[in-house]
Amino acid sequence: MKKSHIIAILVAATGIGVLISASKDVTTYATFEQAADSGSRVKLVGQLVREHPVEYNPEKDPNYLSFYLSDDAGAVRKVVLRAGKPQDFERSEQIVLTGAMKGDIFEATDMLLKCPSKYEQQEVYIREQS
Amino acid sequence: MEYIGERLLPGQIGHFCVVLSFVAALLSMVSYTWAMSRGPSPEHAGWMRIGRGAFQVHAIALLGIIGTIFYILINKYYEYHYAWANVSDDLPFRYTFSAFWKEQQGSFLLWCFWHIVLGIVLMRRAGRWEAPVMAVFALAEVLIGSMLLGLYIGDVRIGVSPYDLSRYVLTDPDAKAFFQHADYLSRFTGNGLNPLLQNYWMTIHPPTLFLGFASTLVPFAYAIAGLWTRDHKGWLEPALPWALFSGAILGLGILMGGIWAYEALSFGGYWAWDPVENTSLVPWLTLVAGIHTHLIARHTGHSIRGTYGFYLITFVLVLYSTYLTRSGILGDTSAHAFTEMGLGVQLVLFIGVFATLGLGLWIARMREVPGMKEDEPASAREFWMLIGAMVLLISVVMITGATSLPVVNKIATFFNPDARKWALEDPVAHHNSFQLGVAIFIGLLSGTAQLLRYSERRWATYKRTFFKHLGIALAGATALTALNGYYLQMNGLIQHWVLLFAAMFTAVANLNYLFTVLKGNLRLGASVVSHLGFGLLVLGILYTGLNKSFISSNAFAMEGLIEGADAASLNRNVLLLKEAPMPMRRGYQATYLRDTVTGQTRTFTVRFDQLDSVGNPQGTPFELSPNVMYNRGFTEIVASNPSTKHYWNRDIFTHVTSLPKAEMDRDFARQQEDSLQYDTYPARIGDTIYTKKNYIIVKNATKTPKHHDYAPQAGDLAYGLSLDVHTLDDPRVMTAEPMMYIRPGQGAFSLTDQVNVHQLKFRLSEAAMERVLRTEDELVYQPIPMKTGGTYDFNGFAIRFDQVEKTIQHPAYQAQPDDIAIAGRLQVTAPDGRSATAAPVYLIRNNRPFSLKDEIPAFGLHFRFENIDPRTETLTISAAKATHEQATVPIDIAEDMARSDYIVLEAIVFPGINLVWTGSLLMLLGLALGMYRRLTS
Repeated sequence: MKKSHIIAILVAATGIGVLISASKDVTTYATFEQAADSGSRVKLVGQLVREHPVEYNPEKDPNYLSFYLSDDAGAVRKVVLRAGKPQDFERSEQIVLTGAMKGDIFEATDMLLKCPSKYEQQEVYIREQS
Repeated sequence: MEYIGERLLPGQIGHFCVVLSFVAALLSMVSYTWAMSRGPSPEHAGWMRIGRGAFQVHAIALLGIIGTIFYILINKYYEYHYAWANVSDDLPFRYTFSAFWKEQQGSFLLWCFWHIVLGIVLMRRAGRWEAPVMAVFALAEVLIGSMLLGLYIGDVRIGVSPYDLSRYVLTDPDAKAFFQHADYLSRFTGNGLNPLLQNYWMTIHPPTLFLGFASTLVPFAYAIAGLWTRDHKGWLEPALPWALFSGAILGLGILMGGIWAYEALSFGGYWAWDPVENTSLVPWLTLVAGIHTHLIARHTGHSIRGTYGFYLITFVLVLYSTYLTRSGILGDTSAHAFTEMGLGVQLVLFIGVFATLGLGLWIARMREVPGMKEDEPASAREFWMLIGAMVLLISVVMITGATSLPVVNKIATFFNPDARKWALEDPVAHHNSFQLGVAIFIGLLSGTAQLLRYSERRWATYKRTFFKHLGIALAGATALTALNGYYLQMNGLIQHWVLLFAAMFTAVANLNYLFTVLKGNLRLGASVVSHLGFGLLVLGILYTGLNKSFISSNAFAMEGLIEGADAASLNRNVLLLKEAPMPMRRGYQATYLRDTVTGQTRTFTVRFDQLDSVGNPQGTPFELSPNVMYNRGFTEIVASNPSTKHYWNRDIFTHVTSLPKAEMDRDFARQQEDSLQYDTYPARIGDTIYTKKNYIIVKNATKTPKHHDYAPQAGDLAYGLSLDVHTLDDPRVMTAEPMMYIRPGQGAFSLTDQVNVHQLKFRLSEAAMERVLRTEDELVYQPIPMKTGGTYDFNGFAIRFDQVEKTIQHPAYQAQPDDIAIAGRLQVTAPDGRSATAAPVYLIRNNRPFSLKDEIPAFGLHFRFENIDPRTETLTISAAKATHEQATVPIDIAEDMARSDYIVLEAIVFPGINLVWTGSLLMLLGLALGMYRRLTS
């Protein structure tokens, strides 16, 4: 057997090993219920519930945001994110959170917003009278 | 319906060019292919001529497309959706390029443009490789060109035309109603360019990146040519400079994206492992792996299969990245992508054609490609280079796999709509931890391989030299690791030490090689420059990653406010009240000084002072100006732009993460104003008003008030109060000057004033104005005949008629020709000894007498200049004294006003960012140097 073949096998084996260990970083999108059951960190997709208050009071704490989210199964829970509130927050169509349930509250460490593109759909048809 | 004023000609010319360029590219591809299948013959020459001619026609037609689109954009022909969606009347000309390639069609055209530039160079330079290489180029042009066709075959649309009219594309009910008017164009205006894209990076980054993308087609085409002609060695020589060029330009394009993200976006970094970034990095990695196997192949004749494979996959990965960013599939996982246009299927087809062509041909010819005849000795350079290329391949598989999870999900949902969707839990941590390992190997391999020689046959004699240089490299690397490790915050993690060592190792090994083996000849040292750059880049990544620190936090000010705050690292934002210095971490102190609005941009000036451990200032204070951009109606914020202070060894990066809600949302501000609880207090000059927490002295009243929102006009009736505001626990005296005015024909307006630090807001209501107006009607004037210099008593006040003045300064007086006007200057002394002046005016205009009254609000006295008797030199002044009630106006005061004079700031110290830029540039410079050497030797 040639030395290069041994190396090739080693590289392939390392590659497979790396892939297997990498698969641990992969998670599925969960619902609040699944997150509560597992107790571990999950990704979660949902919509902001606009009827409930969004609490962000930077004068008190610029790193505390809380709001209510409805997950894909329709369950609504309070979410707490210890970071500033993104400017687009209220207009978001969809929110992707990473975090874990603590009691009844979902403690998020990361948030990604999907927003309608402001400049694509804006209805600016009429030239301003001047 | 016949629409008025639509200019359809540019679109018709443009559409003709689209079809022409598509057909010409198709013809060129077919001709070049046929030329390939015929040996040297007149027929071959004929097909070559047609192929060339058709490609040139394609090029001219493509310039026609680009030209017509620019014409439409520059002239702002909003009847075209392309213009409506991307420009507006107020968009500066310099952003026309950004508007052009912001859209999918524009960026496809940019890509095609570079293909024709490269294609025309190849047509002249490629010699015997012209036919196969150009056939591949023409095929790429056919497929990209099809994205612009906008043709329907049955219900299937092929491509999206850039010349679609707004009235076809905009179909929501409002728009439909609007387009019912034949003259809609006269009232139609553009939507404008997203403010985030209104910066010069958007002008220079896309052309560079697309030149990088386009240039990866050259090695791909040469690889196809090699497989096609079965000349598996011949293509290596001409393709190498192109591959190096491509590596340098594509790398530069990616680097520019990183600088853009760092300088102009609020990421707080230069690399976020965003799918869009990943998928542009991955082809670069395969290209670099290909360059390494290519070099092996040139020196030893081995690894040609690998070189084929890497170059072929590079372009396919470029197409895959195009698919990911343009098909809308990344939706959830990426912060930036193109507007979705329904080209997904066509893009998949595009990838399919090139993947099948490339990989199919590769596999079919695999066996006949010359390979290794004997084993590579581990003492030869190529052995370790090959392992390096394999490591890069592992990196590529890792990044691509993780980035492709949305694609996996889409395929899974296609088969099972309820399939669970997969995602990375923490993409940044995942990529960092795995690519860290890759970087360690690359560092060690690129250092070691450089010290070895190709096809080593005399290892026994060379061994001593190798181990000597290796020893130098290891010693140097150890010393530098210790030195940098002292400054770096390693958090006790062994992998950081190993990475640092690997980076230092390749830097020292390569520098040593340059000076001892190459005798400092940089011309031969392209690889040295690149590998040294890699080492510095890794060092920079370590500094920025490990020593990056959020200074925008104040442990004391925030103490107790944060409910159950655990990790201090999450406290990244600090609230800055205007003009109140805020101590932050690491001896920095920030003061929000002021904000200024120009156009749609609001810029905040923040001063940074640096304090030593006992609070004394040190270093030079500096100011940073992060800004936010509002949309046109100033109703919401659409972009937050950072501001960065650069030092040679670190940057201080800031951006505004939040503003008071009232400053971001006009509707909310109105609601907030409406819900504010005002209490009404009587105000009389000299009085003190006691509110719950403050006491306010009414200093004066004026009919000529000043206010930052008030521009006086003739005919205005205005009234304002000036107030001194005191608080029990604050020795400072603040002032406030609320006012109101009545403008004939428009109505009454109240302009509030506020004292932010005490959360007080003052307002004069209509009741105040009514009081002022009614007082005039109710006053009972008493005429007093006066002579110049005489003193007269009125209710205990001593009124002395000083003099008659011809120069009138009365605020209500507006001079007109032929006016006869005089003012009587009165000196009034109150019983308590205070004195003041008044100057009522007597005016004859158009033979009619008028009187302009004057008053002394502090005394409650009003004066009118009634008439003049020239015979007796008697001047009649009427005086009136307002009653207590008449002199009192109501003022509305709100306490607990929400403060709106603050910003929420994020500030980060980035050490070693310049190492990142320098290292990256050296890597690319090395590639460019290699290309230069191959072109000139």
